[in-house]
Amino acid sequence: MVGAAVVVLALMTVASLSLGSRETDIARMLATLTGDEDPFMQQVLAARVPRTVVGATVGAALAVAGMLIQSVMRNPLGEPGLLGVTMGASASVVTATAFFGVSSGLATVPAAIPGAVLAVTAVLLLGRQSGSTSVIPLVLAGAVVSAVLGAYVQAMILTRPEVFDSYRHWMVGSLAGVRFETLWTVLPALILGAVLAWAMTGSLNAVALGEEVATGLGVRVQWVRLAALTAATLLAAAATAAVGPIAFVGLAVPHLVRAAVGTDHRWQLPMAVLLGAALLLGADVAARIIARPQELMVGVVTAFVGAPFLLAAVRRGRVRG
Amino acid sequence: MTKGVPMTPERPTTTPAHPGVRILRVGERLTLPWRPRTVVVVVVLLVLMGILAVLTLAWGPMGTSPHDLAAALRGEADATTTFVLERLRGPRILTAIGAGIALGLAGALFQSVTRNPLGSPDVIGLGAGAGAGVAVSTLWWPGVFPAPVGAVIGAGVAVGIVWWSTGMGFGSPARVIITGIGVFAMATAVTHYVVAVALRDSAHDLAAYLVGSLGTRNMQHVAIIGVGLVVLIPLVVMLSRRLLVMDLGDDVAETLGAGARTTRTQAIILAVLLAAAAVSVAGPVAFVALTAPHIARKLSRAPGPNLTLAAVTGALILVSADLLAQQAPGLAGLPVGIVTAAAGGVYLGYLLVLEWRR
Repeated sequence: MVGAAVVVLALMTVASLSLGSRETDIARMLATLTGDEDPFMQQVLAARVPRTVVGATVGAALAVAGMLIQSVMRNPLGEPGLLGVTMGASASVVTATAFFGVSSGLATVPAAIPGAVLAVTAVLLLGRQSGSTSVIPLVLAGAVVSAVLGAYVQAMILTRPEVFDSYRHWMVGSLAGVRFETLWTVLPALILGAVLAWAMTGSLNAVALGEEVATGLGVRVQWVRLAALTAATLLAAAATAAVGPIAFVGLAVPHLVRAAVGTDHRWQLPMAVLLGAALLLGADVAARIIARPQELMVGVVTAFVGAPFLLAAVRRGRVRG
Repeated sequence: MTKGVPMTPERPTTTPAHPGVRILRVGERLTLPWRPRTVVVVVVLLVLMGILAVLTLAWGPMGTSPHDLAAALRGEADATTTFVLERLRGPRILTAIGAGIALGLAGALFQSVTRNPLGSPDVIGLGAGAGAGVAVSTLWWPGVFPAPVGAVIGAGVAVGIVWWSTGMGFGSPARVIITGIGVFAMATAVTHYVVAVALRDSAHDLAAYLVGSLGTRNMQHVAIIGVGLVVLIPLVVMLSRRLLVMDLGDDVAETLGAGARTTRTQAIILAVLLAAAAVSVAGPVAFVALTAPHIARKLSRAPGPNLTLAAVTGALILVSADLLAQQAPGLAGLPVGIVTAAAGGVYLGYLLVLEWRR
């Protein structure tokens, strides 16, 4: 299964490098990659290589974040966006740009993290219900927090010309014009989140057996949950800071991952990385092709690919009321 | 029945089903149940709305003073005042009132038939679906069909997807809420897509299509929502008696001759049409349909859908939000939907923390 996922990711990478809102020849692209001097293709690749790398990284980060949230909450609806992470990060960056003079660009990236953490905390506190396993209060709290933050972001953007330019970026995620520098600034958060996630996989397997069993195995359940949620928040916030809010990748990919490799988190994690990267690259390729000669924001495409997963999960009765 | 109300045969046959209800008889055929408390609240809200409306018209550099307003109503105003009233602020306030009434009614109908305080057009993505329909019909295929038709189609598709995805209609609140979030996301994505392709980068227009705005309304908008209300309100009134019975449960409703299934379908169709009418003139203004019936029920303390009060409350919410959007420092010039989304979101959060946590 992992091999198949690697092949899919490789295919998506080639597609992402060769397909665009303007058509380019795959053979010429490969020749240019191997050192042939073709000024036009070199320019195209100079834009598409960072776009592909950042897209794959962001997709992997969102997928791992979704996987962590879904196993901690034992609920197939866990998703960074549904818990307010992405809107929190957006609101935080817009605030930094509007009030603290952080000009758009690289300095905004670290600003996303505190907002994401605050938003998740608010959602968890708002949606807390003693002795209930229902996910509805959490989802509802996430929707409430996202609605208020979304209104705030829109208000800031429409009243402040200096934030106005980045309007689309902070309402719908997009990979257009993304550069390697963006990736370097979020890399520390990504590495920290990834390491934490990897360290938690064994404990998450134990927690999945149930709280009593996990405690019996010597796992501190509350700490594992906290660490996994922290890792998920870091990963999702870094991804949002880099490219803007992208919905439903974190929801859809873990479903595919579980179908492919089962419940062992040590296999789920690498699988989520591969499939998350492949899904976002595929969505980005679609975003470039659908509306030729213009480009769509990749966040629009993922909403359309991912939301049906949510609907299907509900229809199949995976949601406990 | 409580102990204090003895069921004696001497009581008149018009014994109210609920305490505090009076029956108004008009002629032979029409009987209307009413509650003194509800009537008082409706009157108070109407007065409040009148004050806010006059304030909306009077405030700011282009404002019309109450004195000029009275003159204009008598047809004696000067040209500037007439222009402001007929072209600028008049249509805007009338659209706000009409859309508010429609949203309040739509919310009350939906919450009544789903028996779910959250089963409102906002939560199930109906407003967003109607917004997407408006965007498609005005930007993508201009001239193929008018915006209100697009709104109805979009709203209908959104409701259909939710109904199908839950696998059990609107019976389970939890499933309705979660599928609603998915449908909301997809509808918003459609709007983004259409606006991105059609308008390129005019963010203000995008905001109007996404969150709802009352800027630059004209008499055509007033006509659309006015005709919509004139046609739909009588139908809602005809349905209202059966809705009251629905509150007692499907079985009781069937026994009393109110076909539960039919009533529910008719109420949902009416709600879709009302919400679509509102969205086609004001955009997908968030949370009015959710909060208006809720506030109405708290004010009247009466069971049932509280349709009249919900309509008036909806209008009051939209008028006051629009007054804020026009005049409040820091908000001035923003689309009204941003104000309602923020305020409604906070109200929903308050409900979540203080009322629904058990």
